[in-house]
Parts: sequence; structure tokens; C-alpha cells
Amino acid sequence: MAINKYRAMKVSKGFSIHLLLGLVAFTCIFPLFWMLRCSFMTLETVFTDKSIIPTAFHFGNFIKVLTEEKFGIYFMNSVIYTASVVSAIVIIASLAAYSFSRLRFPGKNFFFYMFVAAMMIPLPGSFVPLYVLINKLNLVNTRIGYILCMTNVGLSMSILLLKTFFDKMNTDLEDAARIDGCGKLGIWWHVALPLARPAIAVIVIFNALNVWNEFILAQLLLTDTRLMPLQKALMEFQGAHSVDYPVLMAGLTLAAMPIILLYLAMQKHIVKGFSYGATAG
Amino acid sequence: MKKIASILSFLCLIALCFVFVSCSQQEKDPDRVVLWHWMNDRHEALETLAARYQKETGVKVKIDLFSPPHAYTQRITATAQTRDLPDIFGILDKKEIFAAYIKNGFVADLTEEYKKDNAAWEKSLFTKALDVNRFAEDNIYGVKPGVYGVPLDVTNIQIIYNKRLLKKAGISRPPETFDEFLEATKALNRVGVAGLVSGWGEMWLIESFALNYAFNIMGEEKVMATFRGQVPYTDPDWIKVFEIFDTLSEQGALVDGIVIKQNKIAEQDFALERAAFAFNGSWCVNVYHGMNADLEYGVILPPPVNPDRPMKIWGGSGSSLVVNKASPSKDKAIAFLRWLTAKDQQAYLSQETKNLPANKDALSEIPQILSDFAGVMDHTTHPTLWKYNELAKVASEFNKAIQSIIVGDLTPQEAAAKVQSIKMAEMEKEKRRQQRRER
Repeated sequence: MAINKYRAMKVSKGFSIHLLLGLVAFTCIFPLFWMLRCSFMTLETVFTDKSIIPTAFHFGNFIKVLTEEKFGIYFMNSVIYTASVVSAIVIIASLAAYSFSRLRFPGKNFFFYMFVAAMMIPLPGSFVPLYVLINKLNLVNTRIGYILCMTNVGLSMSILLLKTFFDKMNTDLEDAARIDGCGKLGIWWHVALPLARPAIAVIVIFNALNVWNEFILAQLLLTDTRLMPLQKALMEFQGAHSVDYPVLMAGLTLAAMPIILLYLAMQKHIVKGFSYGATAG
Repeated sequence: MKKIASILSFLCLIALCFVFVSCSQQEKDPDRVVLWHWMNDRHEALETLAARYQKETGVKVKIDLFSPPHAYTQRITATAQTRDLPDIFGILDKKEIFAAYIKNGFVADLTEEYKKDNAAWEKSLFTKALDVNRFAEDNIYGVKPGVYGVPLDVTNIQIIYNKRLLKKAGISRPPETFDEFLEATKALNRVGVAGLVSGWGEMWLIESFALNYAFNIMGEEKVMATFRGQVPYTDPDWIKVFEIFDTLSEQGALVDGIVIKQNKIAEQDFALERAAFAFNGSWCVNVYHGMNADLEYGVILPPPVNPDRPMKIWGGSGSSLVVNKASPSKDKAIAFLRWLTAKDQQAYLSQETKNLPANKDALSEIPQILSDFAGVMDHTTHPTLWKYNELAKVASEFNKAIQSIIVGDLTPQEAAAKVQSIKMAEMEKEKRRQQRRER
């Protein structure tokens, strides 16, 4: 009888947890499902068809998006910006975080807190100074200008995350590498970076998401449509007073795909990174 | 992980190569006019017109779109600081900010241009559209009097009615007076159709409707006197204004939940024939076309309560553009804007984008519904054109009080007393602020 009571409690606890997690998952997945659902509808049916699954599937929206003159250019631009910014952030942040964690140099704490303080400045608040700076460097309307700004935006959080990781990392392997003749950069490359893979995975996904979804800074720094990111195309599907929702949803579905795939590919490492962060703290 | 890392590294390498080989520098060509705008729905039409202009005159006009509007405003602010503004641009802000741009030498004075050829350009445009870009002799901003912008289109807010639903309720013509309007909504209710829908969850729409009737009941002078604090909101004429909403609510003339409706939702309700009347702006032609291309509707001025005084509605310039005073292509920019606001180009823009043209002569060339909307531009007014505006907190309380009347929380008298008490308190605060400034 006692065992049954224990089992009943275990089952009910498990059920409650799963129910709660199911509800959370539902609130996350439902908007994505609704986006997908609307992307298969027409402008007329999107307002009238109340069914969960569309009564008729209309693929014209995807064709319209994919045949949109500049969609391909915008998509490629976003791939270029995301790959460049993320790789720059991973390299710079890991070097900086490793230095802050392992090296001793004057003003170490001051510089570290400066980076952390930069996280407090909201991006819109820095738009005008950023534009003025990039303009002075003659980098307005260039890819490199935008990449530099976006790299700067993601550095603070990445340095903080990686420094925490390196602080908790065992130094034995580094000592062994040093005995084998590795220099500081060698240890960073051969020991610290491979061990920091879970934290790097978190940084990659966070920053990739940030760059992929960004468009206001792009609108500020870029003029040439050939340089604009994908979000610009999504904005073009919206009129001043009216929106072609199904086409917009089809565009959003296509735009969300790469990030979803990236997340799925790195999911294992991301979970590890989060749980490491939790226990390390 | 190794495989993913190598794929990512390869992608990064390609991306970085691409970045460095394709850096595009800012081009500055004095023989080219650059126009920056925020209007997604007008971009293609503007590009077509720019190509046509190049064919006719040889001058290339580059049209660049930056949207949404807040991103556009950020760009204009930033480029103004570095003195990198394009030849033609728009200022999407309060008149105070517009004035600041003028005073800082970013905007060209177009007054003389409008006066050329016996003021032909000025005469071709709706006066109300120009007024938004005009700074009067005694303007409070300290700007040299003149006209500083070019209206691209106009807009106004009226009552739209569904022809099919009115017919279903046995109504042969749209209502001409407020009483007829109430009768029409009763007839519609009898056949299961809701009366008036509007986005009265948004304060500006409720304020617009209320002030239309305030102008109709007591006239502009008395409304302005109220804003100056010389007439109380408890005045019988203001009670009449509040009573309009009480009557509309009491007689079931409004759709359920109107005070929490956003205009986007209200637009859906009308387009999908869930209500027979809508209080909405002229942009609705574009919206309704997208939602229900077969919708049959017409437009009327809000039916007056006082037939002896003309009905005033909110309206004026929809979108305006200005010329960069420091631009080396200033003359070319002005010439292009003059061409863009000529009859044929305005008709084309209106047909393609379903916005009301700023050029009066273009009305004969555009669809009937747009022409009907634009035909009453003489009836328009707008808070930006008034000499006095209500204090922000009082205006907000005024709108909230109307919402409370509609949901039955306040009577018109209670609402008037509440707004007046806020007005008194705010005036007292304003007086103290003034005294502190003088000290």
C-alpha cells in the first residue's frame, strides 16, 4: 500500500511537471505553427478561415517570396553577416575572456567591467554615436562597417559568458600543455577553446539569432539595397497601412528556417553550456 | 561537432572574403538626386516615376527606402548630425522637430518656388496639404515664415458605409444627419448587423471623432477658448458632445468592445462586413482592398448634429518631403518634386497606391472612392494647424472619459466634471511653472 502511495505521488509529480513543460512548449511552438499555417493561406482566407489546419493549401506565397527579385540577395547578405559577425565574436571574445581569466595585467578589472558595463547600454541608444563613428571611419554603406558594429554589440555578453567558463576550468590541462612547450596562444587554441565548446555553442546561437534578426542598425548604416539583410525583405512585405500577411508569414517561415536548423544542429552543446553555466555559478 | 565546425569555418572564410572584396563606398554624384523615404507601399510607384523622369529630363533620381518609420527617423537624425542628409527626405516628427531642422539649416525654404509662374504650383495643390508644411507669420517656433515642404498626398478621416449592408437593412441612402444615422443603426441592428466600428481603443481616433462634433456643435472659436481655459468642459455645448457617445452607446449604434479595439481590428471588422459603418481614414481604401476586394462601400462626412454649422474633419497632408538646403543638387531636387506633384504623376501615384493625391487636378483621373474622400478636403482641419492645443494630460483624460461613457461608467455630466477638474489642476500646475520660469 505504501509503495502504491509512493508510486502514485511519483506519477502525479511526473504528470504535473510534464503538463507544465508541455504548456510552456505549447506557448513557444504555437506562434511558429500559426506562422506556418498562415503562410499556406490567401489574403482572403487568412481573415475568414478559422480552422487550425487550412482547408486549402496555397503554395503561391512561398513562390512569390522566392521569386521576389531581391530576396536571394538579402538572404545571402544575412548569411554573410551572420557568419562573419559570429566568427569574429567567437575569436575576439574567447581571446579576451581567456586573457581576463588567466593573465595578469594592469587595469584588468577596469577593462573587464567596462565590457560588462557596455551591456547596460541599449542598442537604440547608441545608434547615433555609432553612425557618427562609422561615418568618420568612412565605412557607412559598407559591409565591413555593419559587421564591425554588430560584432561590437555581441562582444560584452560573450566575453562575460566565456570568462565565467574559463574561471571555473581546471588548470591541470593547461599546465600539461605548458610543459609540452605550448605558448599562451597555443594553450588557448589547443586546450581552452576545445574545452569551451558548450559555451561557444551558446555564444554562436545567441549571436547568430541576434544578427539574423537585426535590421534597424542595417537600415541606419547601409543605403545600397544590395547590402541589406534579409529582414529588409520582410519589411518590404508590409505596407504603410496594409500588410500582405500570408506572404509575410511565408517570408518569416523561410527566414526562420536557418536559425531553427542551426539550433537543432547545436542543441546538444547548448544544453550542456547552459547546465555548465548553472553548476559553475 | 568537428564536421559542423569545419562547415562553419568554411562558411565564415567565404563570408569574410566576400566582405572584403565587395565593400561598397558611398557614392556622391552632383548630377543625381537622392530621395530617402519610408513608404513601403509607394516605393515601386516612386521608382517607376523616377525612371520616367530620367527618360524625360535626363536627371537620375535614386529612390531609397528605409522602413519602418522609426528606423527611418533614426537614420535621418543620425545623418543630420553628420551633415549627410540626401537631397530629398521627409521629417516624420512633430512640427517642433520640423522647425528645429529648418533652424539648423537642413531644410530649404520653398516659398519663392511656390510663387513662381503666378503661383501655379501652389494653386495646383490642396491648401490644407500645404498648411502642414507652412510656418505662419507669428509661428511660435521662431521659424522664418514660409512653406518648407512638398505634400505627396493627403488624407482625412470620415465615415465609411457598406452599401450592401445598408440595402439589406432597407436603407436607400446614407444618413445625412445624426438622427438619421441613429435610425440607420437601429434598422441595421434589426437585421442583425452592427452599426459603427472604429479603433476607439486608440485615443487619437476617439479624440478626432469627438472634436469633429465639438467643432460642429460650438464652432472652432469656442473649442479654442476651452483649450485656453476660458470655457469649462461643463459648458452645455461640451455636455452635448459627451452626450453623443452616451446616445450612440445607449441606442446600440456601436459594435461591442469598441473602446478596446485597435484600428487594425476595426478595419478587419468592416472589411469582413461585421459592421455597416466605420470611422476611419482614407488609407482604408488600400486596407479594405487587401482584405476584401469585393467590398462595396461609400464615404460620407460624419452626420452633423448641428446642421447650421459645417462639419469639420481631421485631415491634411499625408506624407510630405523636404529639400536639403545644403544639397548641391537642390534645384534639381525641387524640379523633381514639382514634377512629382503635377497632375499626371499624382494620378498615377494615386491609382497605384490608393492614396489621395495632393494635386487637386488629379481628382478627375482617380477611382471614385478616392475622389469622394479627397472631394471634402476643404472641410479638413488638424491639431497641428490650430493655434492652441489641449494640455496632454487633459486630452488624455478627455478621451478616457469618453471611453467611460461608452462602457457606462460615467454619465456625460460626470465625465465633463471629471475632465474639468483635471483641466483646473493642470492649469494651476502650468501657472506655477510659468511663475517659476519668470522668477
